[in-house]
Amino acid sequence: MESQGMKKITSVWIITILMLFVVSIVLGILMRLNQGGVIQEQTLTFYSNLTTHGLTMIGIWFVAGMMAVNYLMQRYVRTSFAVNLTALIFTVIGVLLLWLSTFAGKFNAAWTFLYPLPFKDFGASSWATTLFLISLAVFGIGWFIWCISLMANILKKYSLAEAFAWQHLRKEHKTDTPPFILITTVTLIGIITCLIAAVIIIVLFFAEMLSQGRFVNDALLMKNLTYFFGHTIANEMLYLGLAVIYELFAEVSGRPKWKTTWYVSLAWNCSLVFILTAFFHHLYMDFVQPEGLQIVGQLASYLASLPAAGVTVFSVFIAVYRTKIKWSLTNVLFFMGIAGWVIGGLGAVIDATITNNVVLHNTLWVPAHFHTYNAMGNVLFSLAFFYWFSTQSLENIRLSTAAKGLLVTLLIGGIGFLLAFYIGGSDSVPRRYSNYPASLKEAKPLALMGASFAIVYLIAILSFFYNISRRCLKILFASA
Amino acid sequence: MLQHELLILFLILAGIATIVFVYVFLSSWRLKEEGGGMKKPLKKRFWFSLILVVVLGIFATATLPRSPYFQYAHESPAKVIHVDAMQFMFYMSEHAIDPKLPVSENIELPANQMVEFRVTSLDVNHGFGIYDSAMHLITQVQAMPGYVNRLRYTFKKPGTYHVLCLEYCGMGHPVMETSFVVK
Amino acid sequence: MFKNIVCFCLAFGACLQLLAQTKVSALDEESNIYHRVFDAPLTESVSGQKGFLSQQYERKPLILALVYTRCTGICSPFLLQLKDDILFNLRDSSFRVVVLSFDPRDSKADMNSLQKRFGLEGNSQWLFATTDSIRSLNTSIGFAPVWDSLRKQYNHEALLVGINSGGYITKKLIGMRSSHDLEKMVTSIHNVFSPSYRLPGSSTLFSCFNYDPKSGRSTPGLGLLFVGLPAGLALLIVILLRLMVRKQTPAVPDK
Repeated sequence: MESQGMKKITSVWIITILMLFVVSIVLGILMRLNQGGVIQEQTLTFYSNLTTHGLTMIGIWFVAGMMAVNYLMQRYVRTSFAVNLTALIFTVIGVLLLWLSTFAGKFNAAWTFLYPLPFKDFGASSWATTLFLISLAVFGIGWFIWCISLMANILKKYSLAEAFAWQHLRKEHKTDTPPFILITTVTLIGIITCLIAAVIIIVLFFAEMLSQGRFVNDALLMKNLTYFFGHTIANEMLYLGLAVIYELFAEVSGRPKWKTTWYVSLAWNCSLVFILTAFFHHLYMDFVQPEGLQIVGQLASYLASLPAAGVTVFSVFIAVYRTKIKWSLTNVLFFMGIAGWVIGGLGAVIDATITNNVVLHNTLWVPAHFHTYNAMGNVLFSLAFFYWFSTQSLENIRLSTAAKGLLVTLLIGGIGFLLAFYIGGSDSVPRRYSNYPASLKEAKPLALMGASFAIVYLIAILSFFYNISRRCLKILFASA
Repeated sequence: MLQHELLILFLILAGIATIVFVYVFLSSWRLKEEGGGMKKPLKKRFWFSLILVVVLGIFATATLPRSPYFQYAHESPAKVIHVDAMQFMFYMSEHAIDPKLPVSENIELPANQMVEFRVTSLDVNHGFGIYDSAMHLITQVQAMPGYVNRLRYTFKKPGTYHVLCLEYCGMGHPVMETSFVVK
Repeated sequence: MFKNIVCFCLAFGACLQLLAQTKVSALDEESNIYHRVFDAPLTESVSGQKGFLSQQYERKPLILALVYTRCTGICSPFLLQLKDDILFNLRDSSFRVVVLSFDPRDSKADMNSLQKRFGLEGNSQWLFATTDSIRSLNTSIGFAPVWDSLRKQYNHEALLVGINSGGYITKKLIGMRSSHDLEKMVTSIHNVFSPSYRLPGSSTLFSCFNYDPKSGRSTPGLGLLFVGLPAGLALLIVILLRLMVRKQTPAVPDK
């Protein structure tokens, strides 16, 4: 069962994540304000902020999923407190090094640091690129140890076949694998895979650096590896959130716990394959990539939506439709998050169609769709967990009027800020422009619209931050 | 414009999804006593998944053959334009561009005839996004160092076309711009 | 013994020279692509028949090789390699090869003896010829040999020009190149479209794909292993983990 130590460290995680989240949102709003012409940032500042915003967001929502999964996993297997603490320390050091490289060193090659841009990074200090790569390595080491440790904990109790819930594919089986264990296994393998890809990228970067120009890397190979890592980790963190939903949604709703069935097992096993091949859609506009892989990219992106929609989303519908549920802020946030995830997925499937990608690739449509399933999906999953965690000991948590107001604020802010992105994408506004050329008439007003609604979103998040952190601090300083 | 149609398609789909989610939510929220849940959920799940497979299958078969890699493959271009992208400018020429001494020319292209752009980069990854005179993105390709991508396109309307960089390439990314004329 | 060493050194030097020849500025081959080749009048070296280049490419697409008979440098090895590649590696008769002298001093007889020397006299795929309009032809294909009066030799590149049946230059290869590159040229003169191609560059560490013109597909390069490797490694790690932890007794019973 959950130990006191684990409770305290989870509180520290939550407070850290929410603090970093607020800073990252502020950086995002500053970028939109700069694009709208309200404030004037130096170009270099804009792009180093872009880098900080991207990687910090990826980092915190990844660890948010991991620490939630780690906390809940103790219901099934014992997990290591020391490893959890190590991951926390590595994450904090990683963030500090990252911020040093971007805020002080002005590293500005974006969080994808697409080869060979870090070598030709104008305006950055000479040490910034190295420091940035080191900060990535620090994240990578901490997270890798964490994943391996959690995986080992699962495998102590479950055989590989059981962890993958393969026995559920047969009619008769003796043991049951909880869906939480199945999803965590599938997700952890995906994460280990993309962390290894990141290691290869960093090694190849350092190899070229140390060879002093004797050889260069293949830009196509590096791009494949970059998106293998980047796309996969961004998706796996959503799956971590889903693992939490499978575990908690029924529980907080006062319903019987979800069980693994043959289709749940099949869906999640398939997901592992699709998630590892869908990243090819990032290279549609690189005609040098063989057509076969481009087609695989589109098909895998389409197929990835099937288990998600047909199993997870439909299971949520079944659990809710005409069912008496104890609605609290936790399960409302889960439910809203699923809706955000589905709508972001719709935007993603439209963009993952090659013929559409020709006019949408690297326009604002791209940040539009991934902000949808992050800001209105994954963030809500994590906030739900944070809220549930911080109110565990409290009885009779009902959806108060204040909470309803908070949700409405979050929705209005989120929808407005995302719409500005979607409309910008359909108006061909390119992403990652610090200032827009005057010929793109709609770009500036849209940036302002985005910034204004993002401020509304931030207000809702600040309120969550205050409430959740207050309770987490109590847990942290409570005597055992 | 394709992208405006896509926005409308997206808004319709997102609207339907929202309605479904709200409907499901209200069916539980408004419930006074146990409602009995969904009838025959497995059958409904099967049909839902099957419809999804069919819809996605139709989309894939309709769109994949129209991918840019296969377009104009069996035609000869009326003109070949060499494009070398560099931090933070585009060199465009009807002649091959010497990477040590890149020179740009004013480009004039014929309307209603297929032209080919041979796009490469002299340093980092760039994007070669072609915008029409109303600043709508009409086609694009990436410029990758060490490779030449061949983008084929037929411009239907005469006018000035703009080129913007569509891959983040460093702090000068937003000022990377050029244009050409179609007559 | 000493003589052998000297010979070896000379041969080694010559090899280095050849290697140096193959290193070209990556984008030189891009010039004159899709320009129309000058329709030069030709004099065949065997029969002495007169005609035009267009009569050749209208029948079948062409690979045009430019040489001169008095060359003491690259022309012979270049021609030998081209012959070997076409006869032994490509075995493709869908195109013709025109070997044209760019030296005005070369006569029909000079080219004929060159053809004999390479054993290509009876081969209908090959045509050795001279022309009296070499300047216009050179301009149209971007070929610029420079006369070195001291060595009495031309300073020039080994150049192959691919010409499709419409008379357009579809591809150029500069320097001694692999049969692989030659295959790319053959597909290009048949107007087979490949949406992209790689620039010649030597120092790439691991390449992701290699384009195979025969099948028109890209085959995985060594670098692609790195894209597949993470998934394989992750699975291996998980299997190893299971083997390692299984020996221990289960730590905590289910709640």
